[in-house]
Amino acid sequence: LTFINYVAREINCKIVYYGPGLGGKTTNLQYIYQITSAENKGKLISLATETERTLFFDFLPIDLGQIRGFQTRFHLYTVPGQVFYDSSRKLILKGVDGVVFVADSQEERMDANLESVSNLTQNLKEQGFDIIKIPYVLQLNKRDLPNIVPAEELKQQLLVKQEPVIEAVATQGVGVLTSLKAVARQVLIELRKSA
Amino acid sequence: VSSDIFNLHELEFQRIQAILAKMQKELRADLVLLISRSGQPMVISGPAKNIDCTALSSLAAANLAATDGLANIVGEREFSVLIHQGRQRSLYISDLLKRFSLVLVFDASASSGLVRYKCKRTTLLLEDVIRDFQRRIEKTASDIDTPQFSDEELEELLGR
Repeated sequence: LTFINYVAREINCKIVYYGPGLGGKTTNLQYIYQITSAENKGKLISLATETERTLFFDFLPIDLGQIRGFQTRFHLYTVPGQVFYDSSRKLILKGVDGVVFVADSQEERMDANLESVSNLTQNLKEQGFDIIKIPYVLQLNKRDLPNIVPAEELKQQLLVKQEPVIEAVATQGVGVLTSLKAVARQVLIELRKSA
Repeated sequence: VSSDIFNLHELEFQRIQAILAKMQKELRADLVLLISRSGQPMVISGPAKNIDCTALSSLAAANLAATDGLANIVGEREFSVLIHQGRQRSLYISDLLKRFSLVLVFDASASSGLVRYKCKRTTLLLEDVIRDFQRRIEKTASDIDTPQFSDEELEELLGR
């Protein structure tokens, strides 16, 4: 739900980072948290297990700046990637405005990527969204590892439409902001269209 | 529908804030919030400056959503009210028209019966305001007046 507060002059949007377990969704948020100045971010909340796996979600509110006198405030969420947390993933998609799919480029994770895209499509549908219409970015993460699938092959397998594709190394911050801005751009364009 | 937009204007903001402020005073609550079910704070009333309202809203919405699963297990469609009892402060979270939620942070020594009663009454008042607003939007489609920015402004915001 994009919430426009004309009194506080704010545009509030919800972005969800989706993808297979251990793909780097939380790392994306941690990097954004690290490089964002204190006045432009809130607390990074992680509901994680003792082994640092995301249990329910991570949450980070950030301000990207002003447009037409409105502060643009993005609420970033990750979902738990592990297969058995499907209920949590459905809940977190409630009221989503845009999705960044964080794919794991390693060969052995291809099946997990495919399963996660399919799961996302289904869960969006259950929340009343169509993956073809929703602002969406495909991030190919872990491009620094040796056993990766070529980007072209990943695109062939994982593209759901003509979404922007960004190669990333989230641990080093490569591609992280580009992915965020790519989805933010689509969300704001959708917002403008709705007038 | 890819995006669902809710525009909060001065008139509705003032009406909602007056309702929240009245309840906050009557219950001497620390904080009263109207939030979206997607976890965004919308209108806030109360003196508790040390509470992170953004984080509270996100977690309260998630909390309410998570109990849907519990409700289903026992044959209910949903639990529309949640109360968390603390030692110093307690928390009341309730559904509002499936799109919003009322959140109250109150002194744990307050009567929970009174809190429930006042919150229920407040919820009905808020529902009236939101329904009025929705009716007005349906009548005047022009009310969907989202900020119109140019491509250049967008690029300036997000960097080239």
